Amino acid sequence: MFLVPSAIVLLAVMVFPLGYAIYLSLFNYDIGAGIFRFIGLDNYATLLNEQEFWDSLWRTVVIVASAVTLEFVTGLLVAYGLYRLTFGVKALNTLMFMPSIITPVVAALFLRWIFIGRWGLLSGLLISWGIFPPDFLGDPDWARVTVILADAWQFTPFMILVLYAGLNTVDQSQIEAAQVDGAGPWMLLFRIMVPAIRPLILFVLAIRVMDAFRFFDQIYVLTAGGPGNATETVTIYTYQLAFRLLQIGKASALGVITLLITAAAIAGIIATLYRRERGAF
Amino acid sequence: MRRPLRTQAPLFLALCAFTAVTLVPVVWAVLTSFKRPVDAFAVPPEFIFPPTFAFHYEVWVEKGFWRYLINSAIVSTSVVVISVSIGTMAAYGLSRLRSKTARGVLFGILSMRMFPQILLAIPFFVLAKMTGLINTYPALIFALIAINQPFTIWLMRSFFLDVPHELYEAAEIDGCSAWQVFTRVALPVVRPGVGVTALFSLLLAYNEFLLSLVLTGPDTKTLPVALAEYGAEDINYWTLSAAAAVGIMLPMVIFMMFMQRHLVRGLAFGAVKG
Amino acid sequence: MSRFTRRSLLAGAAASPLAMPFIRAANAAAPIQLISHRFPALEYIAGNIQKAIPGVEVNTQLMPFDKALELCTIAFSSKSSTPDIVYANDSTFLQFAKNGWIRPLDDLWAKYKDEFQLDDFTPTVQKERSWQGHQWGVPATANAMLFFYRKDLFDQAGKQPPATFAEYLELAKFFNTPLRAGTISCQRPVDAALNETSWYINALGDGWFDSSWHPIFNDAKGVDAIEMLYRITRYAQPGYTNAANDECMIALQQDTAAMGIQWATRALAMDDPNKSRVVDKMAWAVPPQGHVPFGGDGYCISAFSKQDPDLLFRILATATTAQKMRGAAGLMVPTRSSLLNDQELIAKYRFFPAAKAAVAVGQGYPRLPEFYAVGQFITKRISQYLTGTMQVKPALDMAAKETEDFLKGHGYYH
Repeated sequence: MFLVPSAIVLLAVMVFPLGYAIYLSLFNYDIGAGIFRFIGLDNYATLLNEQEFWDSLWRTVVIVASAVTLEFVTGLLVAYGLYRLTFGVKALNTLMFMPSIITPVVAALFLRWIFIGRWGLLSGLLISWGIFPPDFLGDPDWARVTVILADAWQFTPFMILVLYAGLNTVDQSQIEAAQVDGAGPWMLLFRIMVPAIRPLILFVLAIRVMDAFRFFDQIYVLTAGGPGNATETVTIYTYQLAFRLLQIGKASALGVITLLITAAAIAGIIATLYRRERGAF
Repeated sequence: MRRPLRTQAPLFLALCAFTAVTLVPVVWAVLTSFKRPVDAFAVPPEFIFPPTFAFHYEVWVEKGFWRYLINSAIVSTSVVVISVSIGTMAAYGLSRLRSKTARGVLFGILSMRMFPQILLAIPFFVLAKMTGLINTYPALIFALIAINQPFTIWLMRSFFLDVPHELYEAAEIDGCSAWQVFTRVALPVVRPGVGVTALFSLLLAYNEFLLSLVLTGPDTKTLPVALAEYGAEDINYWTLSAAAAVGIMLPMVIFMMFMQRHLVRGLAFGAVKG
Repeated sequence: MSRFTRRSLLAGAAASPLAMPFIRAANAAAPIQLISHRFPALEYIAGNIQKAIPGVEVNTQLMPFDKALELCTIAFSSKSSTPDIVYANDSTFLQFAKNGWIRPLDDLWAKYKDEFQLDDFTPTVQKERSWQGHQWGVPATANAMLFFYRKDLFDQAGKQPPATFAEYLELAKFFNTPLRAGTISCQRPVDAALNETSWYINALGDGWFDSSWHPIFNDAKGVDAIEMLYRITRYAQPGYTNAANDECMIALQQDTAAMGIQWATRALAMDDPNKSRVVDKMAWAVPPQGHVPFGGDGYCISAFSKQDPDLLFRILATATTAQKMRGAAGLMVPTRSSLLNDQELIAKYRFFPAAKAAVAVGQGYPRLPEFYAVGQFITKRISQYLTGTMQVKPALDMAAKETEDFLKGHGYYH
C-alpha cells in the first residue's frame, strides 16, 4: 500500500546495484588483468588475513570515534550556549550552519588552503610570526588530527542544529522544577535535558557514525590516504583497490565488510542507549 | 526568561568567536577567489591585494556555469519532490505497523546507507548504460532518490510516531479510507517535519558529486562535477576553482538563510520521540 | 488545494524536463565524445580538435588526471560506446591497450602518413606510442623533467647547476634557509612521487625491473638511490610529502624554494607576472646524471566506439599538425621535430634549449601496463620511509613483495 512506490524505487535502483556489488565480491574480478573467476569467499579470507586491512580498520575506528566525540561534545556545549542566549540566536545559528551546506569536495578544498604547508593560511601566518609549525598534511600524526578536524568542521554544525532543536523541546515544567530545587546550569544540562532528548541523540550519533565511516571526499583531497598510510581509512583503501589496483572483486568484499561493521556499530549504539527502554526504537 | 547580562555578554562573545573561527575557511576561500594566483598563494598570506573579478566572470560567463546551475536545480528539485513524497508514504506505512518486522525492515533500509558509495558507481553506471539513460536527467534523479530514501524514511517515521493514536482512531470511526487517514490526519500533523526532511534532501541532492560524475554527461552536468573539472596542473585553475566553489555555495546559502527558521521548528517538533 | 495535489503538480512540472532529453537525443546526430586530462597545452589541443573538421561536432570533457582515468576505467570496463577518443599518457595507454580497450592505429597511420606528415613526430615520441609492434595513439604533447634553478641566487653565490647528485645535495644544503627551502620535492602518491623517484632509481639505481619484470629496485644500488632521496629531501620545502606538481610549482613561483626538478610544461608560467614572483629569475638545465623522466601524452581511439575510426583519426591528425601546434609550443616540449628545431621558437622560449637537451637523455616509465597500479605500493612505502615510520630496506622490500604478488596475480612470471 503505502510502501509500494518507495519499495519499487528502492528495489529497482538500489537493491540491484547493491546486490550486484555483493555478487562481485565473490569473484576475482580484476579489470586490469581481465580476470573474472568465481572464488567464493576467498576475497573475504584474504582481506581478513591482511595486516593492511586491520590497520586501516583501526585507523578508521580511531578517526570516527575521535571525530564524532569531538562533534558531539562541541555540538552539545554550543547548542546549550545558544539555548541560554536570549538575543542574536537566529543569526548565529544561520552563520554557524554554513560549513554543513558546502559540498564536501569544496569544503575539502577550502580546508586544504588552510592547512597546506608553508603557504596555507595557518602555516603562512605562523611562519610570518616566526613560529615554524609542523606539517599539518604531511606529518603522519598531524595528518590524522587534520582529518579529524576536517570532519568535525563540516559536521558539527549539523550536530548543533539538531541538538539545539532538541533542547528546545524539553518540558518547561521539568526545568522549572529543577531550578526551584537549586540546580545550576550544568546539572540542568546533564541531569535533566540530556536524558530527555535521548532518542534524538541516538539518531544524530547513528547518522554521524554511519557517515564518518564512509568519509571519503575530504580525506582524498587533503591527504589521499597519506603520508604513507597514516590516514588510510577503510574507504580510502576500498577506493585504491577499486580504482588504482582495479581489483573490483576484492573492493566489493571490503565494501560488504564495511557494511557489516557499521551495522554492528549502529546496533551497538541502539542497544546501549536503550538498555532500559527497550521498545522505544 | 530573563537572564543576567553578566553571563549573557561573555556567552555571546564566546559563541561569536566560535562562529568566526568556523567561518575562517569560507572567508579565506572567498578572498582567494578575488586574487590573482601570485597573490593567492603568497607567503605571508595577503589580506590586502589588488582584487580581480576576472575569475568569477570566467566561471559564470565563459565557462557557462549558469547552465550547470540549471541542471543542478532541475535534478535537486525533482529529487526532493519525488523522494520526500514516496519516502513520507513509506514512513507512514512503517509507523503504523509497530511490529518487529517493521523495525527489521527499517534497519535493513538504513543499512543500505552503510555501503561505501564509491563501489556503487560501477553498478549504477552499468545499469544506466543498459537502460540507455546516461547523460539524461532521469538516471541521476532516480539514483539520488534511491540513495536518499533511507534517511528520509527514518526521519519521517520518527515524526509519524508522534501522531497520537486517538486521532487515527477518531478518523477511522468517521469512516475515512486509509488514504484519507494519511492525507487528512497524519500529514498536517507532521508538516514541519516534512519541511526539515525536504531541506536535508535538497542539500544532499545538490551536493552529490560521485554519482553525478558517473551518470551525467556534457548536457546534464551538475555544479559539483563542473567544479571538479578544474583544479589540477596549473595554479591558474585553483583561483578559478575558488571562484567556482564560492559560486556554487551561494545559491544554497541564500536559500538556507530563508529556510533556517523552518529547519529549527521542524526538528524541535519531532525531537521528543526521535 | 490539498497538499498532495500541489505536490503532484510540482512532480508533473519536474517530470517534463525528464522527457526533454529523450526528444532531444532522437533528433541530433551523435557528437564525438572526448575525455581528457586538463592542463594548458591539452586545453589548447582540445580547442584544435573541436575546430578540426567543420561540421563535425566534438564534445570535449577535460578534468584532472585521476578523474579522467576513473571515468575511462568505468566506461571501458563496461564496454561503453562513449567516449570515442580518450587521453592517455605513456603509462595508461599500455593498460588500455593490454585490456583491448583501444584500437591499434597502424592502418590509419600508414594511410595518412604523407597527408599529415606523421614522420615529423620525433622518433622518441613515436616510440612512446608503440607497444608490441603496434601504434596505439596520436601523440599530443611531450614532456620532460628539467632542473629548475634560480639563476639570480646562483650567480650571486657564484654557483653552477649541479652535474651530479652529490653536487645537488650540496647546493640544496647551501641554499637552504628557514624561509626558502633548498629544493622542491614532490612526493605525493602516486603520480608526482613516481615521477621524481623514477629519476633517482634510474640514475643512481639499477632501474625498476629486470627483463622478466621482477622488481629490482630494492637491491643495494636501489637502496642507495632512495637514501639519497631521503638526504636531499631534508632540505625540501615544508609539506613536500603532500606536494604534487602544482604545489611544487607554487613553491618555486613564490620564492620559497631555490631549485628542483619539474616538468617542462610548467616552465613558461615561471615568467608570468600574474602567477609568479620570480619572473625572469628562473633558469633551466638538464637534470644531473641524466635518465630524465620523459613522458608523452596522446589521444587514443576507443575500441568500442560507434564512430568511424577514419574520421576520428583525421580529426586528431588535423589538430596536431606542426602549424596548429605552434601556438602551444611554449606550453610543452613539442612533439614535432620541425617545431623543436625552429630557431624563432628557440629564441622565444627560454627553456627550449634545456628541453631539447633533456629529451635526448630522457627515459620513460617501464613499459609495464601495471606500472601505475604497482606505483601505489611503491610510493606508499617510500613515503613511509621518508616520514620516518619505516626503515629504508624493509620499506623497499615490502614494496617489492607487494609488486611481485600483484604481477603474479596478473599472470607474469610463468
